[in-house]
Amino acid sequence: MISKNKTYRFAYLLASYMIGLFLLSGCYKIFFPSEFSLAVYRFHLLPDFWINITALYLAWLEFTCAICLLFISRYRVAALIIAFLLLSIFTYGIIINLLRGTHFGCGCFSPSPLVKPMSGLNVIRNGALLLLVGLALFSHKKSLKS
Amino acid sequence: MKSLLKKIVILLFVSAAITLLANTLLPHRIPWIEDWSNHIESKAAQKKIDVIPLRTAIDFYQIKSHRFIDARAAEEYANGHIPRALSLPFQTLDHHFEKVEKLFDSEMPLIIYCSNRDCDDALLLAIELQNMGITQLSLYIDGFERWKEYGGSVEKTK
Repeated sequence: MISKNKTYRFAYLLASYMIGLFLLSGCYKIFFPSEFSLAVYRFHLLPDFWINITALYLAWLEFTCAICLLFISRYRVAALIIAFLLLSIFTYGIIINLLRGTHFGCGCFSPSPLVKPMSGLNVIRNGALLLLVGLALFSHKKSLKS
Repeated sequence: MKSLLKKIVILLFVSAAITLLANTLLPHRIPWIEDWSNHIESKAAQKKIDVIPLRTAIDFYQIKSHRFIDARAAEEYANGHIPRALSLPFQTLDHHFEKVEKLFDSEMPLIIYCSNRDCDDALLLAIELQNMGITQLSLYIDGFERWKEYGGSVEKTK
C-alpha cells in the first residue's frame, strides 16, 4: 500500500514538474508583451478591446501557475486545474486557426518570426500535455485515497 | 472542493494583481487597450489579402515558388533587397506600368514587401494590384529589415 502510494505521489510530482517547466518555458510572454499581444491578435478570436488585456493576463497567469507547480505544493492542484483550462483554450485556438488556414506560429515559446507556422503537431503536443495534467490530477487523487 | 475553488480564485486574483503591477511599473509595458484595426495586418485582412511572416517568406524563397515584389523606393531597393525581387515602388507606380503588365503574364503568385511591419507601401501596392485583377498575392508583413536582421540573403543593385 505504501509503495503504491509512493508511486502515485511520484507520478503526481513528476507530471506537475513537467507541466510547470513547460509553462515556465513560455515566459518570454512576460518580457515581450507587445510580441505576445501580436500573437494573440493573430489568432483572430478576440475583439480588439480584449487582446492586450488577455495577452498580459495570460502571460502572468501562466507564470504564476508554473511557480505554484514547481515550488508551492499547497497550490499545486489549483494550478493544475488552471493549466488544464489554459491548455484547452490554447488548443481550441490552434485548431480553429488550422481550420481557417494560417501562416503564423502559435506564439507559445518564442517571439521570433522564424518560428514554424502552427501545425497538427502543436495540437498533438497540447493533447499530450492535457493528458499529463489528467495523469497528475488522477495520481494526486489516488495518493490521497491509498 | 470548496477549498480547491478558493485556491483557484486566489491564483486568478494574484495573477491579475501581478499583471496590473507589472504593466504599470515595468519598462516594457504596453497599452491595456489598443486599436488593432490600424495595424497593417488588420487592414490586409479587411481586404482579404493573405499575410505571411518571415518563416513562410523564407520557405517560399527557398523553393522559388513565388515572385517577390519590393514596394519600397528605388533607392532603398538599390541599397539592398531580397534576391530576384522585382522593384515596383508604390510611390512611383505610374512610371512602372510595363513591369505591372508583365506581372499579369507571370504564373507565379506574388509576395509583396516593404521595410517593416509599420510601412504601408506593400499593402497599398497589394490593394492596387488586386484591384487590377491580380489575385494570387500575399503580403510579407515582417519586411526587408527583419529579412536582413535574421540573415536572409541580400542582393544589391550597382
